Amino acid sequence: MTDAPLLNVENLTTSFETDAGRLIAVDGLDVTVERGETVCLVGESGSGKTVATESITRLVEEPPGSVDGTVRFRGRDLGTLSEPELRSIRGAEIAHIFQNPQDAMNHCYTVGWQIAEAIRVHEDVSRAAAKARAVDLLDRVGIANAAARVDDYPHEFSGGQKQRAMIAMALATEPALLIADEPTTALDVTVQARILRLVNELKAEYGMGVLFITHDLGVVSEIADRIVVMYAGKAMERGDPVDIFEHPAHPYTRRLLACLPGVGSDHGGIPGSLPDPTDPPDGCRFAPRCDHAVEACSRGEQPAEIEVGSGHCASCIHYHEGYDESVLATDEAVGADPKWEESDD
Amino acid sequence: MTETEPLLSVRNLEKHYPVGGGLLSGPSGAVRAVDGISFDIARGETLGLVGESGCGKSTAANSIVRLEEPTGGQVLFNGGDRKGRTRNDDGTHPNDVTRFDRTEMKAFRREVGMIFQDPSSSFDPRMPVGDSIGEPLSVHGLDDRRRRRAIVEDLLGRVGLTAADYERYPHEFSGGQKQRLALARALVLNPELIVADEPVSALDMSIQADILGLLDRVQSEFGLSLLFISHDMSVVREICDRVAVMYLGEIVEVGPTESVFTSPKHPYTEALVSAIPTPDPRTANRGIELTGSVPDPADPPAGCRFHTRCHAVVQPPDLDVDRTTWRQLLDFRLAIEAGEVDAAAIEERARIEADGDGREGSTAAEQLRRTFDLPETVSDSAVEEDLAAAIGAVLDGEDGRAAERLRSTVRTPCERQHPESVDHGDGHESACIRHDPEVRTAREWQTEQ
Repeated sequence: MTDAPLLNVENLTTSFETDAGRLIAVDGLDVTVERGETVCLVGESGSGKTVATESITRLVEEPPGSVDGTVRFRGRDLGTLSEPELRSIRGAEIAHIFQNPQDAMNHCYTVGWQIAEAIRVHEDVSRAAAKARAVDLLDRVGIANAAARVDDYPHEFSGGQKQRAMIAMALATEPALLIADEPTTALDVTVQARILRLVNELKAEYGMGVLFITHDLGVVSEIADRIVVMYAGKAMERGDPVDIFEHPAHPYTRRLLACLPGVGSDHGGIPGSLPDPTDPPDGCRFAPRCDHAVEACSRGEQPAEIEVGSGHCASCIHYHEGYDESVLATDEAVGADPKWEESDD
Repeated sequence: MTETEPLLSVRNLEKHYPVGGGLLSGPSGAVRAVDGISFDIARGETLGLVGESGCGKSTAANSIVRLEEPTGGQVLFNGGDRKGRTRNDDGTHPNDVTRFDRTEMKAFRREVGMIFQDPSSSFDPRMPVGDSIGEPLSVHGLDDRRRRRAIVEDLLGRVGLTAADYERYPHEFSGGQKQRLALARALVLNPELIVADEPVSALDMSIQADILGLLDRVQSEFGLSLLFISHDMSVVREICDRVAVMYLGEIVEVGPTESVFTSPKHPYTEALVSAIPTPDPRTANRGIELTGSVPDPADPPAGCRFHTRCHAVVQPPDLDVDRTTWRQLLDFRLAIEAGEVDAAAIEERARIEADGDGREGSTAAEQLRRTFDLPETVSDSAVEEDLAAAIGAVLDGEDGRAAERLRSTVRTPCERQHPESVDHGDGHESACIRHDPEVRTAREWQTEQ
């Protein structure tokens, strides 16, 4: 049992009943997070990243939502747990940080009170001891003069400070898994850099697993141990940062990397738009926008993920038996890496 | 002379908002959102204005086009038929936007287009987008419906949409498409200057690249000047010819983009540039960490406004401590002066730790040092003496005496002297006291380790 990964998500599928029909937000996603590891879910808005993480801790409202697939956390199947059991895991063992710290704090209570509350919900400690812990935590996340700031209200904190207070709150119970949903997107670069450094330190210190969601590839390269690239609810490619950034295999990943400012092949963007989630195309979800799509790409299911290097998988038909992957090599791969040819295994 | 004349030249622009005061007593102070900024934009040039949120970038843009009335300074706009005019005898300028009357303002609005951050909130949801885009034409007197439509349809094509999109409503477009529509509307009066306030911040990376490419193309096609406001340094580097860096209402550095990014002269620019996440998994970011938070613009720090957070703040030559300790000593003094040190809370905490969860107890003085990351003893004995005395005074509740005691040793020219802008050549200017040769020769300039 101890060898089981911290978090193991298999075939996660989340759909919503809408007036326009059944909307499939996450479609058969597999993710694992080990202890002391940061896994980044990367993708454009609308690719299903946020819904995927909310499905993991069952924050998706059912109905209209419906979540299928297995989510195992420390070997326990979260799908079989009752709501009270889930509640004792949420916050205590799995902490969630959301994009907008503004909405996630109650402005009627002091920041310290809210952090202390998070501690007292899950542990039996005195008010004074909980507050002392809150001061420690604020200090730990780099709030200057924490002893005085602990009695401030959220509106007295700046955006970056609020996000750090949120992280302090999330860490209050020393969770085994931290789910961070675009925690730095609303922040300035200088503040972002500090938060990323903090997450890295805490990961190393507590051996915490981190599932980090972002659309910012620069952030990904700062923080990720492994990357899962999502598109239209599906995983397109997975691998470690060096694989993904230097030898991207999937055409979507390559186009995404080409969009990076300063790298862009004459800033092209990706023509077309995301497919309609209520009526996804047959075959590869990216085929309608892909330069290398052949007829077989638009048939059947999303191609199975196939290993293109050690621990590096892509869901692209060109890597399958009977197809010629060299058609992809002509792509304007980022950096036009000369090692590209020999990097396949 | 018209050849070298910039299209837009902003001189000492100020926008202060009155704050405080009662119903009858009048304002008691002012938020100095924009406090004397100057820059030029040449014809066909893109100038980027960057800085953290709250530094006054958007206020600057709004004051330039007089969406908000500036409280001081001049904005000289030499577009349209205003080329080559010279100053009046009394020092005013006929092209000064801040002094334009209604008629002149209306003409000026025709020469300047604006794009905002959130394209969803800048279109009327009940109006076909074609009508929204064409509306400025009718405002400025083009009454011929068919000609309006022809102009709009042509523009839709140029921004990558189709003429058939004319009749559609805003909700039918994605965020990126809406930003294209916003660009079309900004272009419809054939302006000479576009002011774009965070035009791609709300967009996904792939769409961002798309819109930046479009802006670039349209700019060269129409020969536009562009004032591009963004907090995203990598976007600015992509699109701008020159960059101006703003901090707390002032421009601290301005220069050609590559030169500012590759050899930033001001410590603030240095910190901003170093904080950009690099899309290279092999290099770890060793960003410069800024301490403290952005000061209150209603009460900006004296001297250089950045000295409260600067990693390179000038250290006095007689203070024999390392850079980190020096910065922490200064932070401690600034915290005392700002009344941020809560002696009661620190004593309480020391007490809780002493009789609490079995951890080793500590005195309030030790607790205070730990809270402010001060070393247990400072190597320089003279400083240590002052610091110990100051800590004692703080714990006695005498902040004034503590601050005064520390001020005798922990002091820096950065807080006394407002830095002048220094030209490093090629139009690259920055305002940092370390550029002053006198500061340098006084051996006070110690750079970070």
